[in-house]
Amino acid sequence: MASATLASPPPLVGGGWGEGWRLLRAWRRDSVFYLFAIPFAALTIVFGLWPIVLSVMTSFTASATALKSVPVYVGFANYTAILRDPLFFSSLGLTLLYAVLAVAANLGVALAYALLLDSPLLAGGRGFFKLAMFLPVVTPDVAGYVVWRWLYDQSFGALNAFLHLLGLPAFGGVASPATAMLAVLVAELWHHAGFYAVIFLANLAVCERALEEAADIDGARPWQKFCYVVLPQLRPAIVINLVYALIQFLKTFTVVVVMTKGGPSGATNFLSYYAYQFFDQARYGEATAMATVLFAIVLLMATAVYALGERGRV
Amino acid sequence: MRMSSLPRRGLLAGLLATPLAARGEAAQQLTVWHDLGDNGTKWFAALSAEFAKAHPGVTLRATSYPTDQWFGRVVGAVNTDTAPDLIFNNYERVIRIAAQTGKVMDLKGVLAGIADKGFLSEDDLRVATYDGRMIILPIQRVQMAFGVRKSWLDRIGEPFPVTWEDTMRVAQKFRDGHPDGDPGSKVFAFGLEAAQPRDLIHILDLFTFGAGLRSTLIDAEGNIVVDEPQHARVLEEFLKTYTAYGFVSPDTINYSFGEMYQVIEGGKAGMFRVGDWNVSKWDRPDVLNGDFIVGAWPKFFADRQNGVVIGGMRGIAVPENSPHKDLAIAFASFMLTQPAQQASLAIMGAAVRKDLDVAGLSPRQQAFAKPTWALYAYDFPESIHPFYPQLEAAYHRKLLDAIARPPADLKAFIAATAQDMRVLAKQLAEKKD
Repeated sequence: MASATLASPPPLVGGGWGEGWRLLRAWRRDSVFYLFAIPFAALTIVFGLWPIVLSVMTSFTASATALKSVPVYVGFANYTAILRDPLFFSSLGLTLLYAVLAVAANLGVALAYALLLDSPLLAGGRGFFKLAMFLPVVTPDVAGYVVWRWLYDQSFGALNAFLHLLGLPAFGGVASPATAMLAVLVAELWHHAGFYAVIFLANLAVCERALEEAADIDGARPWQKFCYVVLPQLRPAIVINLVYALIQFLKTFTVVVVMTKGGPSGATNFLSYYAYQFFDQARYGEATAMATVLFAIVLLMATAVYALGERGRV
Repeated sequence: MRMSSLPRRGLLAGLLATPLAARGEAAQQLTVWHDLGDNGTKWFAALSAEFAKAHPGVTLRATSYPTDQWFGRVVGAVNTDTAPDLIFNNYERVIRIAAQTGKVMDLKGVLAGIADKGFLSEDDLRVATYDGRMIILPIQRVQMAFGVRKSWLDRIGEPFPVTWEDTMRVAQKFRDGHPDGDPGSKVFAFGLEAAQPRDLIHILDLFTFGAGLRSTLIDAEGNIVVDEPQHARVLEEFLKTYTAYGFVSPDTINYSFGEMYQVIEGGKAGMFRVGDWNVSKWDRPDVLNGDFIVGAWPKFFADRQNGVVIGGMRGIAVPENSPHKDLAIAFASFMLTQPAQQASLAIMGAAVRKDLDVAGLSPRQQAFAKPTWALYAYDFPESIHPFYPQLEAAYHRKLLDAIARPPADLKAFIAATAQDMRVLAKQLAEKKD
């Protein structure tokens, strides 16, 4: 998350007409900025913050009254109920495990791809490979996941047909509890890695080449050059990608709705989807309580990662 | 050119009087919210045209929402006094609206005022009543029969299966042969679903009620029935259909309605659920071209008649804060008349009247319209036990686990599951109290 430096109005010190004109000009300059920023801020508050506030308020209401004009508030009863639900904890555990694996896989693949694309050894076709990498990102996610579901199909899927050709055992895909999470992770990797690679590529473009040349002159091996010269310079992109990926994968939802519906047998019953099922049972209070807990976890982890990443920066 | 010497007020009055006199009443628009899609909107348009003959100037605007959105929109609208005039859906869905809002009108008095209603059975009226109130006027009896591909049966030389043993034999031939005539294709004996509680338990309901039993999980008195001998037998065969017998696609564990329909309409399943609303689409040349027979669910027990399941009742409900309440009530009553019911049968494939003309319907539609099979009504445990959705979700998890990781001893699994459900039902009942 790159911090934007907001232009702050100049201090109201000094006096005299000259100072006043200077201040007036400064305000006029800054007011243009605020004029452009206010509509977006208003939209964010109305469509972003206000629904979150309403959701948190609903988590303190009795489900049967949640959608009434005057709901009945029950304090922390919904939170107590979900904390007594063993499935909530197993769902949370699955969500955290998936998030860790997905973040590592996506950032690892994205970084490797970005380094390959940035390499001077890639003589031609750079544009083609960039397009190939980014095309899945702009593909509508539902359409992409439907195709992945077909690829994994145990009877008609191209993946198992290919494995069969190679004489390899079939892959359980989303039909087996043992492989469902991996299947979902691969589909999400296909869809998201390109986005993170673009961020890495942008950072690589502003890296100091002189430092790499100096390392070459000093006899550094490729791995040493990468660890001690390139990687430190990629810190901004790593922090941005880490925070964004954590937020993205902690709230994984669409892929589950399309490919597994939380199964098989709860193997991909991540917290967002588990909370969604409560809406279907009209248990709005508990559903929003779960959503609030997830929101708090996402906020804490993202903030912690960002703070750690920014620590020591000059 | 200037206006003539005719008094302007008189001219204006004359101009206005003519259309008003022709209308007979002020122009009004009723609104109805449903989840039946384009077909439903087409049906309501036909009803609107018919209703307008007796109520000139009155039109009906029908809006369809996906079912899960329909709930939220209706509850929100009713609770904020922006309700539509009418809502149309399955009985068990209107129950949720009634429970969430407390603002669904009791239509008992309305039904009492309708003279021509002898076609409504006690079962029909029971499934229209919740908590002592008639929350819907029953309009469409939702029947769900057992369907089998006709050409597949012809190819394997079998008649429509009657008993479960017949069904197993046909299923094995579908599974192992090439009943679709294509040696290169992979097909399945059954097209089923399992992902959500209302997917898997719904199919189990059909097998259970279709076999002539009552209740799938819990009866009206609150007793868990899962391990009663006949229920346990049906459940065991049901689970084996998904597992040991290999009668369904392995991906069925993740299938909901959409995926199940893809398998059926894609011509990959030999046996499947057929709802009365499915027939008009599946009769089309670009779908199944009418290549299926509908009949009763498999017979499991010699002492019980198998039949078709009345999976529900679709009806019309009137919110207490309906903007045009009197007119809405008139329209709701109109939906039970012969012309309205004829349109319902022709367009939606379902109705409640028995005196409708079926000559123009396909053999499969006629089978639903003039049923010769036994009809068993679903018992709607959610209308009796408020905790039922949670109990069902827990039962679904157990069954799904048994499908994903089949237990070595199904009988022991069923006994243990029944005991777990008893404990949970007691806990949930005490919590609700």
